[in-house]
Amino acid sequence: MSRTPPDGTRYVLPDAAARRIEVVAALRALYGSWGYDLVEVPALERYDPAHPREAQSFKLSDRDSGVLALRSDFTPALAQLVRAHHPAVAAGARRPLRWQYAGTVWHAIDPELARTREFTQVGLELIGVSNARADAEILHLARESVRTVGLRPRLEVGNPGFVRALLDVAGVPDGQRDALADAIDRKDRRDLADRLASFGTGREGVDRALLAVPDLYGGIEVLDHARQVAPWPAAQREIDRLAGVLAEFEDASELMLDLAMARRLSYYTGVTFRAYTPDFGQPLLGGGRYDGALLPAAAGFSIGVERLIQATRALPPAPEPTPRVIALDDPAARVLRAAGVRVVRALHADLEGARDEARARSAPFVLVDGRLLSVDAAGADAAELAVLSALLEGAREGAPGASDGDGPRGDP
Amino acid sequence: MSRVPRLVLALPKGRVMEQSLEVLRAAGLRLETGTGARALRYDAGDAVVIEMRNADVPTYVELGVADAGVVGKDVLLESGSRLVEPVDLGFAACRLSLIRPRGATGTIQRVASKYPRLTADYLRRVGSGAEVVKLSGNVELACVTGLADAVVDVVQTGATLAANDLEEVDVLLRSSARFVVNRAALKLKHETLRPLIEALRGLPGSF
Repeated sequence: MSRTPPDGTRYVLPDAAARRIEVVAALRALYGSWGYDLVEVPALERYDPAHPREAQSFKLSDRDSGVLALRSDFTPALAQLVRAHHPAVAAGARRPLRWQYAGTVWHAIDPELARTREFTQVGLELIGVSNARADAEILHLARESVRTVGLRPRLEVGNPGFVRALLDVAGVPDGQRDALADAIDRKDRRDLADRLASFGTGREGVDRALLAVPDLYGGIEVLDHARQVAPWPAAQREIDRLAGVLAEFEDASELMLDLAMARRLSYYTGVTFRAYTPDFGQPLLGGGRYDGALLPAAAGFSIGVERLIQATRALPPAPEPTPRVIALDDPAARVLRAAGVRVVRALHADLEGARDEARARSAPFVLVDGRLLSVDAAGADAAELAVLSALLEGAREGAPGASDGDGPRGDP
Repeated sequence: MSRVPRLVLALPKGRVMEQSLEVLRAAGLRLETGTGARALRYDAGDAVVIEMRNADVPTYVELGVADAGVVGKDVLLESGSRLVEPVDLGFAACRLSLIRPRGATGTIQRVASKYPRLTADYLRRVGSGAEVVKLSGNVELACVTGLADAVVDVVQTGATLAANDLEEVDVLLRSSARFVVNRAALKLKHETLRPLIEALRGLPGSF
């Protein structure tokens, strides 16, 4: 029996495991604060030959001779969940569902080039709505996801609908569309020119437009270039769609447009994006709008957590969080902890001992008999003291008799 | 150029290295040649140059250790890496061909190649059930010694083939040197890369 786990899987030792939990928790909290509810789906799925990642799925035989597959992607599983529990949305009703997920996925691939076969995915889907504000919301969350782990985000945004519109205008035969879109996505003008020469759209203007698409990347000015390059109404509509999303985005300066983005042309229907960070050569997340692919209206993205963590390795280590309060009063401590304040229980029973502990841990306050005392006599922490005291006061007013002492409104 | 983030370039050893440096200079980069000391990674002025075997260039660029590089289209396709390849530099032109002993006509049973992936794709495409043997060195030898009854290899002038009484029976693809770019770098070092790409495209022989 080999001592190593199967190819493309690994053991995770305590430090790395703690880091992973921490990052997943931070992302979950971020999505929760934007109104995204956590859902869970089975890791074992019924094998489906039409699954978008069918070729990459691990198959297992079930005891009744059915075939199962290990989850290879959350999005199709969430689409199933929508069909089972929100049939109206699955049938096209416009009612927003904001869902987030986190868990393991498995890809049956050759574990080459720094790719593992088992990894953690966190992500979200905004289902049942399709408009510019929804797209912009997803883009905001993609950017915030990168910021949450302390990295500087740079978003690459495109709209494969633009390339699709041009291929339609050009009348590219079905058998050539994917190869042409792939050449555009790789900005391989040689390949593109050779292919166009081989089957000939017979329309010089369209050929010229297709050859210009690989260079339509950069800042917001790209939209104007695209309008000049592709004057056909179908193409203009797709440019307008992208412009509409950018108009709903709070700050477009961290965005880089690329109208040559054209991967999975038959899956993504609207805005698509990837996030990068300086000095890291691989995308941190990717996603987009896929109306009609699995559900009538849906957009989302997913993050490979291990890669995201790898990108944070160059960051200076985060300082160990210092406790804010050393507590001698347990009920009051519970109130502060419930509000997210880091409160450490004093190991000494007396005030002087607690003060010493606070100094040793750089905690600014001691909590005793329902009151906070500043350790620093100069009162540098007055603002924080006022906020935390108000929390304690609020709890006393909201829960009469909960604290000992003389009742809810003892002090004038 | 001092405030712009500096490029890291992956270049293959040998003659292509010289030609690559030449076109990059022509495109406006100030690049010194390595000092002759066998430094694998050196500061060449406007870019840091890493020197490697050509088959490793796609890996370095795909993983972002290098921002960009120069590699033959044949090697790039064999690697399976998806890189941005905005410029065909035109030099190092060659064909990747199926080669057999002159006059051979029987069914091909075994094909030797340094390009096992492209060879297998080709055999599938033409409906051949031949097996593929991966070799690293002088592939023609496989034909001459009877290890394989055909080989897939690069043909530049055809002189080696003639000398060994071999002939080119089919062309799999035409290759030339490509300027390849990491997708993240293209977006993160846009100010440096975009003008460089445009300048490279403007050189004679490039597309």
